[in-house]
Amino acid sequence: MRLKICHLYPDVLNLYGDNGNIICLRERLRRRGIDCELQRVPIGEKADLSNADLVFIGGGQDFEQEVLLQDLRGGKAAELRAAIEDGVCVLAICGGYQMLGAYYETHDGTRCDFIGALDLYTVGSPQRMIGNTVFQCTEECGGAELIGFENHSGKTRLGSGLKPLARVVVGHGNNGEDGFEGAHYKNVFGSYSHGPLLPKNPAFCDLLLRTALERRFGSVSLEALDDRAENAAHDAMRRRLLKS
Amino acid sequence: MRFSLRAFAAALVCRLLRFASRVLRRGGTATPGKIAVRICPTLLSVLAREVSVVAVTGTNGKTTCCRMIEEAFSEAGLPYLANRSGANLMSGITTEFVMNSTLFGRPKKQYAVIECDEAAARTVFGQLRPKVIVVNNLFRDQLDRYGEITHTLSNIREGIRSVPDALLCLNTDCSLCSSLAEDLPNRVLRFGIDTELNTVSEVPSDASHCIRCKAEYVYDYHTYAHLGGFRCPSCGYRREPADYAVTEILLMDGTHSEVRLRTPGGTEDIRVNLPAVYNLYNAVAALCACEAMGIAHAVCVQALGRFSCGFGRMEDFALGAAGAKMILVKNPAGCSQALEFLSGTQEPFALTVCLNDRGADGTDISWIWDANFELLAPMADRIRAVYVSGDRAEDMQLRLKYAGLDDTGFRLIHDQEALVDALAAEQLPIYIMPTYTAMLELRSAIVRRCGGAEFWE
Repeated sequence: MRLKICHLYPDVLNLYGDNGNIICLRERLRRRGIDCELQRVPIGEKADLSNADLVFIGGGQDFEQEVLLQDLRGGKAAELRAAIEDGVCVLAICGGYQMLGAYYETHDGTRCDFIGALDLYTVGSPQRMIGNTVFQCTEECGGAELIGFENHSGKTRLGSGLKPLARVVVGHGNNGEDGFEGAHYKNVFGSYSHGPLLPKNPAFCDLLLRTALERRFGSVSLEALDDRAENAAHDAMRRRLLKS
Repeated sequence: MRFSLRAFAAALVCRLLRFASRVLRRGGTATPGKIAVRICPTLLSVLAREVSVVAVTGTNGKTTCCRMIEEAFSEAGLPYLANRSGANLMSGITTEFVMNSTLFGRPKKQYAVIECDEAAARTVFGQLRPKVIVVNNLFRDQLDRYGEITHTLSNIREGIRSVPDALLCLNTDCSLCSSLAEDLPNRVLRFGIDTELNTVSEVPSDASHCIRCKAEYVYDYHTYAHLGGFRCPSCGYRREPADYAVTEILLMDGTHSEVRLRTPGGTEDIRVNLPAVYNLYNAVAALCACEAMGIAHAVCVQALGRFSCGFGRMEDFALGAAGAKMILVKNPAGCSQALEFLSGTQEPFALTVCLNDRGADGTDISWIWDANFELLAPMADRIRAVYVSGDRAEDMQLRLKYAGLDDTGFRLIHDQEALVDALAAEQLPIYIMPTYTAMLELRSAIVRRCGGAEFWE
């Protein structure tokens, strides 16, 4: 078995240790003896998203947003939308998550159109939502408890047909108001949680791997791994947050 | 500006609080100044008005660069004050000026070597009115506190805008720092490294696209992180030649380096009394700044050859049978360089990493995944013991596991005293990589055990 992972825009969407998600995905495949082919697609390079099994998109700075959107309009947006409709597994964090939505509106009213793959939009707010988080995934998304760190000023609203990824236990999540975090559509998982998300949340990482593998190879069973270090990091922060 | 009653009162309160905190054996480097600034917000401008100041700002290397400059001032016999312990905000800097002035606000020292936090530069520079300002570099750092890197750059730019007479010493290899010369009227001297460095670590670039036109930079050579011979193929913005440059690295070992240096006065080979390539930038920055302050070239070179930094920056302790070296790490760029330094050593060693997530460390520890800990895997056979500690020890343990080290033998010790006990029993050389607040605690614990100066001394 071989899984194709595509890391979209590692050159600019790399702000909060998100590369750790890639490290984690690859390592958990390696430990199970599953091959992994990683394609890094920076701005200006052609992606082959229809062939990818798992696409990862991280968060970035506003500074590069313009060049990024220009590149998306050059064909990648359509390709990404098609891949998503086709059931490709996607993990999108923070800026990458917002980018999948319809638009971002700054708090002074300037609107910036995004790719519209998911029925959501984001509005900038004057305060940043920063801190360690606990999110409880919905049953559909595996039901795991996610430990992470959020840092965003955008408030994301989901359209009525779109399901969230999780319920907020500690933190702000999508907007700090409705108690939900992230989005889940087909095999797309969007979240504000970096930290990075996957290393401390091995069950969620395995959910992504299983989703991607099963789409390509049919039913697979993932061998259990020694996750003591993973769980120790997860539990240490969980204890701190739920105690206070 | 006269020394108003308000300023007098503020300085007096500052002095008393500082005295009290020393009696109570606390550092007292910032709090007295914080209260004084609340009483008299312009206190610093009054106290600094007759002092010739050299200020150093930027993300990495401020403290080391300042220590180098201090050594040159000492060597030249110039009386100076300095904010020694990283108290580099308005409050800490003000405390230092109060303690070095008379009751009536007259300066006791003619010069000052001041490390200034990059976010505080915006408000500090206008009051401090430095004669020379060094901008070392800009890297992603504490994003939860500083926000985006371009925001930090604007803070520095705004600060400099209030002092058009200050001479700027800019890292010409950093496209972000170098851009300050574009729209500020100040006179500029540039420092840099003219040659490719054999660094292997990859960190995400903090400046991959042109600050002017947003096209992607092309590099003629890299030194480390985003530093090097950048040029924009679209608008022509590019690295300008350095006035002070390291042109060749002749030798680099675990204790020092020897490099060829080009200055306006000519070319020569000099010694820098600290290892690691990032310290070459600090050295050439310090040289540039000291000469701009009027110190003779020969004196500056001598200072670089024999200064010592201490305070957790490549600092040596007589801990364990073979000694310990502490290397402060704060962000991906600096941490990767520290790891690269470890790659360059030859002996088996014990590795200790202490990760805290308090305010001064940055509450977001995701940066450890951007630092190139993967460099440790090829030297796994030399790493005979791994200690992880700090508030986020479990996260550090996980990072090292995913970097390719076998985590079954890791020792996770939260308690700093217990950690120092364990390290004291080590037979091999120890390398300790702590974040800022972990460094403060661990340093105190080590100093209590085996001697050395407390941080305010």
